[in-house]
Amino acid sequence: MEGSGEMNDNVRADEAAQALAGIRDRQEQVINAAFVPTWFWWVLGALVVGLAAAVESGNRLVIGVGTALFVAGVLASLAWALRRAMRVQVRNQLLGWRGGLLIAGFALLTVGGSLGVAFGLNAADVPHSATLGNLFGAILLVAGGPWLMRTLRRIMLDNRSGVTG
Amino acid sequence: MTAPRFDELIHAPTRLAIVSLLAASEWADFAFIRDNVGLSDSALSKQLTTLEDAGYVEIRKSFVGKRPRTSAALTAAGRAAFDGHVAALQEIVSRAGASVLPG
Repeated sequence: MEGSGEMNDNVRADEAAQALAGIRDRQEQVINAAFVPTWFWWVLGALVVGLAAAVESGNRLVIGVGTALFVAGVLASLAWALRRAMRVQVRNQLLGWRGGLLIAGFALLTVGGSLGVAFGLNAADVPHSATLGNLFGAILLVAGGPWLMRTLRRIMLDNRSGVTG
Repeated sequence: MTAPRFDELIHAPTRLAIVSLLAASEWADFAFIRDNVGLSDSALSKQLTTLEDAGYVEIRKSFVGKRPRTSAALTAAGRAAFDGHVAALQEIVSRAGASVLPG
């Protein structure tokens, strides 16, 4: 066993390069496993808009059905995401402070944007202000969610230790 | 900067694949490693035991409800060995004048 050796003259440069490429591929597999697909953002967006529209309809039956659908949808989405998350946890160091800030900023923008639009429209006496506010949030989720995933993926790939040179 | 340190134990292709997966994770589920590396349960168990015996990997067994779950994580020694091995591979390549930087 040569666990303590510094170098190995039996390994050719092309074999070493191939091993490094394999390492990058494996690490990319872990990073890719951490992200949710685009449809997830559409489902989240549809759920929040659907709930707001149901509540603003004022119809008890619609509110009841809308709330039930919202709860069922959120629970199903969370269960799906949780099952995925239990397969592997990406190393925290790969996300780094930039990734953490990005996630917090996106969450703040989405929630703050929705509330801001909803309250602003409400103050201007625009009907269905909550639905429109949530629609704005949903657009942010659908447009920004995949962008957030792509950006976080790039950050994580950049933060891989060792193999990035 | 990690000092180059070629590690024969890690360099074996199957173990290198396992350690590479674990190096990017805090921990990984047994099934995730098995599916991504493409090993049978018994083959993966054998490789993980070898890495555990070397002090490179920690195996954790737990229960989710009534279902047993096995996960693996690199130890500090395993992470240091992996970083040293990667540095050694890079040195071999750079000595030959080829670029190892990802595209």
